[in-house]
Amino acid sequence: MTSKTMNMVQALNSALDNLMASDDRVILLGEDIGTDGGVFRVTEGLLAKYGPERVLDTPLVEVGIVGMAIGMAVQGLRPIPEIQFQDFIYTAMDQIINQMAKIRFRSGGEYDCPMVLRTPYGAGVKGGLYHSQSGESYFAHTAGLTVVTPSNPYDAKGLLVSSSQGDDPVIFLEPKRLYRALKQEVPEDIYKIPIGKAEVVQSGDDLTIITYGSMVPTVMETVKKNQINAEVLDLRTLVPVDRDAIMHSVQKTGRVVIVHEAPRTGGFGGEISAMITERGIDFLYAPILRVTGPDSPVPYRMEEYYVPNEKRILNAVNKVMESA
Amino acid sequence: MEQQQKKESKQSEKPQYIRAYAAMVLSRTLDKKIVSAQRQGRVGFYTPTMGQEALQVGVSMALEKEDLVYGYYRDVPMMLHRGVPIETIINQIMGNSADTAKGRQMPSHYTSKAFHFMSVQSPVASNLPLAAGAAYALKYRKKKNVVITTFGDGATSTPDFHAGMNLAAVFKLPVVFVCENNGWAISLPVERQTMVEISQKASAYGMPGIKADGMNFIEMYKAARTAIQDARAGKGPTLIDALSYRMGPHSTSDDPSKYRKDEVTEGSEKDPLVIGEKLLTSMDFADDKLLEKIRNEAIKTVDEKFDACEKIPPPDPLTAFQDVYKNMTWMLEEEVKNIL
Ligand SMILES: Cc1ncc(C[n+]2csc(CCOP(=O)(O)OP(=O)(O)O)c2C)c(N)n1
Ligand SMILES: [Mg+2]
Repeated sequence: MTSKTMNMVQALNSALDNLMASDDRVILLGEDIGTDGGVFRVTEGLLAKYGPERVLDTPLVEVGIVGMAIGMAVQGLRPIPEIQFQDFIYTAMDQIINQMAKIRFRSGGEYDCPMVLRTPYGAGVKGGLYHSQSGESYFAHTAGLTVVTPSNPYDAKGLLVSSSQGDDPVIFLEPKRLYRALKQEVPEDIYKIPIGKAEVVQSGDDLTIITYGSMVPTVMETVKKNQINAEVLDLRTLVPVDRDAIMHSVQKTGRVVIVHEAPRTGGFGGEISAMITERGIDFLYAPILRVTGPDSPVPYRMEEYYVPNEKRILNAVNKVMESA
Repeated sequence: MEQQQKKESKQSEKPQYIRAYAAMVLSRTLDKKIVSAQRQGRVGFYTPTMGQEALQVGVSMALEKEDLVYGYYRDVPMMLHRGVPIETIINQIMGNSADTAKGRQMPSHYTSKAFHFMSVQSPVASNLPLAAGAAYALKYRKKKNVVITTFGDGATSTPDFHAGMNLAAVFKLPVVFVCENNGWAISLPVERQTMVEISQKASAYGMPGIKADGMNFIEMYKAARTAIQDARAGKGPTLIDALSYRMGPHSTSDDPSKYRKDEVTEGSEKDPLVIGEKLLTSMDFADDKLLEKIRNEAIKTVDEKFDACEKIPPPDPLTAFQDVYKNMTWMLEEEVKNIL
């Protein structure tokens, strides 16, 4: 299998290309994804290659893009709609929560809805309140949705392929800050990374740092720079979360820090924390700490104060290590 | 055109028209049965379809077997005319173990993939964008079928109505939007729902908008047939403003006397069934005896089927947690173990 150095945008593009080449049921739709190749260029070149029947520049209507994709999926296609920024997905929330997530259940399994809803999320590109949100908890809270967020180019491609070839609808959250942040060798051919499996990015003994998506590089830089003997878990899939990987690591280290960019209250970190205490409070030597975005909107100028950074992660690590 | 009209008045149309009338009568009979069963506590809830029979049957007459329906909670007459077994409807109302959706949805939310009737959601009009997507899939596969999507007059105020109409027009999709304009959205009259006639809205999307007499099944059939033919021929979508009347309450939980005086009562001149009977007798397709026979058969069928379905046991509790995903997640498995 030949590989190429790719950033996340290129890896996602390669995944879409492979998926479209191997299955004519795969259809892309969204705003500016055709002629323009998407505002982040994820769909660049695909219109030229696959034509306007398979790469649809749609009118500006999120509820319509999602709703139309659902109809396509119900009728046997494998649509991959794009919402230009996750912040604009909210007008389509009814379609996501009340249609997409519930079609299999409400039809007694007669109908299904295999599709991937891709959208860039998170801060770090100076987008202010409306181009920076991390809304993963809204989706994680809805039964029927699978929620995936990659943290690097290699995973992004493999996870997107798995998401599109699965049986149920997937919310695919792309950390836009990492779109061009790092490059990796990525196979040009199609490959899969399983849904529901976390990755041990680094093994270690002193504590477990659980993170995902946009925060993984920040956590890794912090851990490396400060020579922390931490086991770092990249969840990759939030729903269904990899219980075994988490519990296995917690049992080994007995100390946990959870890092995510989304606001703390109702954030996914709370869910992981509850899950660990419910089934493994005896393993713990210290309270579980969360390092998260604050319960405030993402600001434009002072963004660096919003997103968890080395200092805040280090503080939390030191605190859980101090507990007896 | 002339030739076609001549052909229509010919005897060969008789079976089709009789079948349409029979479906309307069956639906009306079932409607009344369910409403009275609800009053007796044998059914939890229901949205009656009384008054909308001719409208729906007229549309259904113009459909082909493989055409898709993305309908709403009041589409019983259409389902019956399409051939959906009456048991499918009753079992759904009962939420019993024979229900397609295993008792998961409240009454009036039907599913029948075998008859290409997409499962019904509650949020008004969110089936419209789906209909556009389904039509896209048909077009993409070069199938000659069309999608019918139905909704009420209230639904025309929603963002999803706008989204679905606009997308279907922009992509020139084979969709026919059938507004079952029964004059009311629960307590809000259509005059307060919108300041224009619903058919006029079509022009904002660049599609034809037609007004049809939804109380006359033959008129409705003709209107639907034109729109469906256009869609099938690749000419794009049409909006039909199908004028009718909600003869019953919005639902069994509603008391319309709080907000209106009923304008169409059962058995009156305006009742779509009475209009249908007049049409059939004036064409010499039926006499009183035949009409009586159809009515009696409907009563017999409804009573028998209703009683039989009522005896079907409730679903296995486990089914309440299945089909969330193709394979149950570990989280749900864990919760189910605790619950059951
Ligand atoms: C989005 C949404 N809002 C509110 C409701 C509650 N509701 C159910 S039916 C209805 C009225 C619908 O009227 P119309 O569209 O005219 O259809 P009809 O019931 O008259 O056939 C309302 C407000 C709903 N189901 N969905
Ligand atoms: Mg109405």
